[in-house]
Amino acid sequence: MSSSRATAGGLIDRSKTVRFIFDGKPYAGLEGDTLASALLANGVSLMGRSFKYHRPRGVVTAGIDEPNALVTVLKGEVREANIPAPLLEIYDGLTAVSQNRFPSLGFDVGAVNQLGGKVISAGFYYKTFMGPVVGPLKGTRFWMFCEKFIRRAAGLGRVDYAPDPARYERMNAFADVLIVGSGPAGLAAAKAAADRGARVILADLDARFGGTAKWSDETIDGMSGADWADMMVRELSGRDTIRLLNRTTIWGYYDDNTIAALERVTDHKAVAGKGERRHRHWVIRPKKVVIATGAFERPLVFPGNDRPGVMLAAAAERYANEYGVLPGSNVALFTNNDGAYRSALALKKAGAEIAAIVDVRATISEAARALAAEAGGELLLGHAVTSTSGGKQVSGVSVQPFDLASRSVSGSSRSITADCVLMSGGWSPAIHLASQAGAKAIWNDELQAFLPPESRGRWVGAGAFTGTFSTTAAIAEGEAAGLAATGGEDTRSEPRLVVDGALDPRPAPVFEIKASGKAFVDYQLDVTADDVRLAHREGFVSVEHLKRYTTLGMGTDQGRTSNVPGLAIMAEAQGAPIPEVGTTRFRPPFAPVSLGSLAAERYADLKPERLTPMHDWHVEKGAIMYSAGLWYRPMIYGQPGETVEQAYVREAKAVREAVGMVDVSTLGKIMVQGPDAAEFLDRVYTNMFSTLAVNKARYGLMLRDDGVMMDDGTTWRLSETDFLMTTTTANAGKVMQHLEYFLDVVWPDMKVHLTSVTDEWAGTAVGGPKSRDVLAACVTGTAVDNATLPFMGIVKGEIAGVPVMICRLSFSGELAYEVYCGAGHGQHVWDAIRAAGKPFGIVPYGLEALGTLRIEKGHVTGAEIDGRTTARDLQLDGMLSKKKPFIGSAMMDREGLTDDNRIKLVGVISLDNRPLNGGAHIVEQLEPKEPNTSIGHITAVCYSPALGKYIGLALVKGGKKRHGQRAFTADPLRDRFGPVEIVSHHMFDPEGNRMHG
Amino acid sequence: MIINCPYCGPRDLVEFTYQGDGNRTRPQPASQDYPAWNAYIYDRLNPAGDHNEIWQHSGGCRSHLAVVRNTLTHEIKSVEFVRDHGHRKSDGHRKTGAAS
Amino acid sequence: MVEQVSPLEPVWKPGSHGRILGGAGVTLTETRPGSIVQLAAWPGHEKAMMEAIRSATGLSLADGGGAGVAEATKAAFGFAPGKFLLADQAEGAGAALAGAVGIDIGVVTDLSHGRTAIRISGPKAEWVLAKFFAIDFSIPAFPVGSGLSTAHHDVFAQVQRTGADQFDLYVFRSFARSFWTALCHASEEVGYEVR
Repeated sequence: MSSSRATAGGLIDRSKTVRFIFDGKPYAGLEGDTLASALLANGVSLMGRSFKYHRPRGVVTAGIDEPNALVTVLKGEVREANIPAPLLEIYDGLTAVSQNRFPSLGFDVGAVNQLGGKVISAGFYYKTFMGPVVGPLKGTRFWMFCEKFIRRAAGLGRVDYAPDPARYERMNAFADVLIVGSGPAGLAAAKAAADRGARVILADLDARFGGTAKWSDETIDGMSGADWADMMVRELSGRDTIRLLNRTTIWGYYDDNTIAALERVTDHKAVAGKGERRHRHWVIRPKKVVIATGAFERPLVFPGNDRPGVMLAAAAERYANEYGVLPGSNVALFTNNDGAYRSALALKKAGAEIAAIVDVRATISEAARALAAEAGGELLLGHAVTSTSGGKQVSGVSVQPFDLASRSVSGSSRSITADCVLMSGGWSPAIHLASQAGAKAIWNDELQAFLPPESRGRWVGAGAFTGTFSTTAAIAEGEAAGLAATGGEDTRSEPRLVVDGALDPRPAPVFEIKASGKAFVDYQLDVTADDVRLAHREGFVSVEHLKRYTTLGMGTDQGRTSNVPGLAIMAEAQGAPIPEVGTTRFRPPFAPVSLGSLAAERYADLKPERLTPMHDWHVEKGAIMYSAGLWYRPMIYGQPGETVEQAYVREAKAVREAVGMVDVSTLGKIMVQGPDAAEFLDRVYTNMFSTLAVNKARYGLMLRDDGVMMDDGTTWRLSETDFLMTTTTANAGKVMQHLEYFLDVVWPDMKVHLTSVTDEWAGTAVGGPKSRDVLAACVTGTAVDNATLPFMGIVKGEIAGVPVMICRLSFSGELAYEVYCGAGHGQHVWDAIRAAGKPFGIVPYGLEALGTLRIEKGHVTGAEIDGRTTARDLQLDGMLSKKKPFIGSAMMDREGLTDDNRIKLVGVISLDNRPLNGGAHIVEQLEPKEPNTSIGHITAVCYSPALGKYIGLALVKGGKKRHGQRAFTADPLRDRFGPVEIVSHHMFDPEGNRMHG
Repeated sequence: MIINCPYCGPRDLVEFTYQGDGNRTRPQPASQDYPAWNAYIYDRLNPAGDHNEIWQHSGGCRSHLAVVRNTLTHEIKSVEFVRDHGHRKSDGHRKTGAAS
Repeated sequence: MVEQVSPLEPVWKPGSHGRILGGAGVTLTETRPGSIVQLAAWPGHEKAMMEAIRSATGLSLADGGGAGVAEATKAAFGFAPGKFLLADQAEGAGAALAGAVGIDIGVVTDLSHGRTAIRISGPKAEWVLAKFFAIDFSIPAFPVGSGLSTAHHDVFAQVQRTGADQFDLYVFRSFARSFWTALCHASEEVGYEVR
C-alpha cells in the first residue's frame, strides 16, 4: 500500500463515489477516475502478469501507450480483452479482471517460467519445438503437437464466443480542418482555424480535452493549464461550425485525407442512453489535417525496470495532477533529461517525498537544478539505477556511478529506499498518423527521436508532435498550423526547439543501463535488451526482422514505449547510427478498433434485403424463404407433414397437370429506350432484335467480349423505341453495368438510355395446361386466345381494375404467361389471379418446383451459365447469328472455345433411384478408392415427377456424343457413388408441343 | 480515395467501380484480327506511375470516368467523362443543361 | 384506381420513438407521390428537356449538375448528366411528360411504382443521413432544391433537399423496407417521429 489518493488536487469529482469490481473485489473510486487511477488510489499497484514470464506488472503509463496494465472488461456474457486500464473510465458496476494469470494475480503458477532465466529467450519456441528429421513427429508436426499446450500458456487475455449484443454505427463527416489532439497546440490550432470561419473538427482520444494542459502544472495566459483548456473548449463549443469529439481515437490516415476514427460513445456509461450505439466509426474527409498528437515518454532500460511501482515520470505527474493520486509516498526518479525534474516537483507538491533524483548526466541546466532543489531529495548526477528491489511492489533501487562517454557503470553501489520509481528516457513524438500518410520518419540527433516526415501539403504539424516540447512554442505553432490549414498567412518564425523556462528538451543519448538482470525493452511482449542482442548475434540485421524474431513492438500497444529503445540497442549492437538501422512504417490502426464498429449497421436485422411486392404473402403462407443474392424468394410452400421434396414434387406436378403460379418479380428488368435501342440490342445480344415486331418478345443470349456466356433472358418490344429487357435475378446488376459500359465507353454516339425498372414491375408467371383459362377468367380489356396472344406475344389489359402487361412465354415448358403490373399493385393482381385460378386448381409454386420444371426441359440458368461456358457448350449454337457482329462474336470462335472436348450440356438420369448431388463429378469408371478422371460435373438436380426419376443436368466432355451412354456419379465428399445414364438435356417434351399448344 | 466526378463533385471511393484499363482499344465489331482482340481483352500495362483508368460512378450518376491515377501515390491527376475523352468527343455533352 | 400498397406497411409505426429529449430529432414520412418519373435527354438536348419539364409541370430547373426545384406538391432535380427525376403528388405526370418529350429530345420512364419516397426532416436530419451516405449535407455544399445520387452499400438513393432541414429520398422499392428499418434504427438516439 504505497500509492494513495492525494489529499487535494486533480480534476476528479471528490463528492461522487463510483463503485467497481476488479478481480472480484469491490473498490470505490471517484467520478473522473480511470481504472488505473482508481486502483492506484486504492493502493493497488499490481495490475497484470507479463506475457512470457508471468512477471508481476503494474501500470507504467497514464494513457494509450500502456503496455502492462491491460484488463478484460466483463459485460454480461461478453468479455473484451486488452483494454488499457489508464484509458478505461470507471462507472458504477464496472467489472474488470486482470489477465494472463492463473489462478490469481497475486499467486501465479506460470511465474515459474522466470526461474528458467534465459530459457525462454527470443526464438525459443522456433528453436525448441523444431521436430526431429524423421519419424511420426518430424519437422513441423512436432510443433503442431506442442502448439496446443503452448497456446494455453501464451496469449494475452481471452475472448469468448458469446455474441456481442452491442450495436455500432458509422458516421461520415466533412470539414475544412480536422485537428487531432487537444493539447495546447491542438486547442490553439482549433481556435485559430475557427476564428477564420472554417469548419473544424477537434478530436481527442481522452475523455477530457486539454492534453498536457490538464496536468502539466503550467500557467498559460495567467491561469492554470486546466482552466485555460476549459476556457478554450468553452469558446469553441458555442459555434455551429465546430465539432468537438472527445473519446475519439483517430486511427487511420488514408488517401486524399480520408481519416478513420473510433468514438467510444457509451463505454464509460453504466447505462447507455436509448438508441445510443456503443462505438461510432467516423470517416472524416477534411481538406487539411492538423496533427497535434504530442509525444510519448520513453522508459529507460535497466534491470528490474518492470517491477510494479516503476513508471514513467510524466505518467506519475499526470496521476498526481489530473487524478489526485500519488503513485508512491517516497519517490526516486531516474532520468536522462530535464523533463523529469518538473515531474519531481509536481509529486512533491502533491504530497510525496522525493528520495532521490538519479541522472545519467554529470551536468544539468540551472533550471533543472533549481527544480531539484525545490523538490528536495538527493541529486545524484552521473549516476544510474542498476537494479530494483522488492517483490510485487518496488521497495528500492541500487545506484552506481555512470560514465556517459563509455555508457557504463562502475564503482560502488548503494541502495536507496523508495516505494515508487519514476523514469524518463526522453520523448518520442507520436508520428503514427504522419507515417501512415506516407513518408519516412526523420531521425533527429539532438532530440534523440524520430520526427515527422514532410507532409506534402496534406497536413500541418504542431506541438510536441513536431519536436516542439515547450508549451509556449507549441501554442504558437498550433496557432500557425490553424492559420496555415485554413489558407491564412503564417507570419511567425519557425518555433522549433524553443528552450522554455530554460529546461532543455534534449536528452542524453542513453537508452540502456547494462548491468545483470532482466532489463525490459518491450514490457507487453516480454522482450529484454538481451533478446535484442541475441537477435543481432543470430544475424537479424533489419529492424523488420528484429521485430518478427523478438516480437518487439508487435503487441496491442504497437511498441509505443519500446520501439525507439529497441532500435537504439540494436543500433549499438551493430555499431551503426540509429537512422541506418531504420524505423518501421506505421500502419493503421493506430490503436485497436472494435470489429463491430467496422461492420457498423450492416448485419443481423439491419442487413439490406430485397423483398418482392408479394413477400409478406409468401411468408404468411408458410413458404420457406430462400436468399438469392439480397433477394428472398419462396423455395416451397410446404403443407403440414410434407418434406421439401414432397412439396416441390406436388407443386411441379400441379403445373404439368393443371396450373401453377410463381412470383417472378426478382427478374432483372431494364428499360432500353431510344431511337438506337433496336440496333443496340442487335449488338449486345447474339441474335437479332431489330427484326422483332412491336408487342412481341424474344429470347436472347448475351456473351462477354471474350466469347463466354454472360446471361440470357427475354426482351419485349413495347414500341419502336422502347424495349423491356429481362435478365436472370442474379445477373441483373452485372448486365446493367455491362450495357452501361458499352453505351458510355464503346458506343457513346448511340442514342439509347438504360433504366433499371426491376422494382417498377411485379411479375407473376402463370403456367400449365389450364393457365389460359385462368387468365381468360380474370383479364379484361383484351382477349388471351391463341390468335390474340400467340407464343411470345404481348397484350395489355386489366386484372381487377389494375393495368397489366401479359407476355406469353414459358420457362416451365408448359403453356405459360408472365403477367406484369405496377409493383404497388403486385399483391392485388396476385390475389386476383389466384382467385380466378381456384376453380382450375391453381397452386403457388416456389424455386424448387421452378427448378424442377426447367431441369426437365433442359433450360439453362446460373448453374450452367457459370462464367466459363460458351453458348455452344450449352447447346445454344442456333442462337448465334451469322448475319451481324455482336459482343463476343469474334472471340467465341477461337480455338480453346470451340474444342470438341469441352464439357457440354447433357441430361443425367440416376439409375439407382437415389437422388443426385449438384457439384458431383461424372466419371466413366467407378473406383471409389482411387477416384477416376472426371469427365464433367452435375450442375442441377431434382426428382422429376414427369419422368418418375431422379434426374439432373450436367456438363460432360463430348456432350451429345455420350447420349445413351452409362457413366457414374462420383461424390467422395458426400459419399455418393452410383450409375447414371447420359441423355439429351431435353428430357421432357423435347418438341415443345405443350408450350406452343 | 476520393474521385472528383465531373457531374457529382468529389465522392468517396465506395461509390465507384473500377472498370478496367483505359488504354485499351476495342477492334471494329466485325474485325477478325484475333491478336487485336486478344490485346484488347487480356493485355494490360500495369505501370508504376501514371495510369489511364476507367471508373464508373456506379453509386452515383453512373457515368464512366477517364481517370489518370498514379499507382504509386494514388494521386489522381485528372478526371473527365469517358464520353468527352479523346477522339470520341461527343457534341456538347457537359454538365446538366450546360449544352452548347 | 386501385391504390398502391406501400412496401413499408408492416414496419410503418406512426408515433414517437427512441430517445425523445424535448422534441424529436427527426421526423420520418413516406410521401407517396402519385407520379415518379425519370427523364433522360440526349447529349446536347438538356435545355430542351428542361423546357419540356417546365411546359408539362411548371417546374423551372436551373443549369448545373444536381440543380433542382421543390414546390409543395411536386419537385424535380438533376441526378446525372442529362437525367432528371420528377415527383408529383398527383398521378399522371408520366403521361403528361411523355406527351411533352419527343424522342428527338430524350426519353421518359415511369417509376411511380419502382421507387419509394421517404422524407426525413428535423434538426437532426443531416446527422442521421450522415450515417448512411458519404455526402456533405451541409447547406453550402447541398443547397435547398438540389439533388444527387448516391448509395448506401447496395441501396441506391436519389436525394433532394426540399427544405433547410428536410430531405426527400428515393430508393428502390424492393429495398425500401430494409432502408426504412435502418433509418429508424439510426434515428433512435436522437428520437424520431413517424408521420
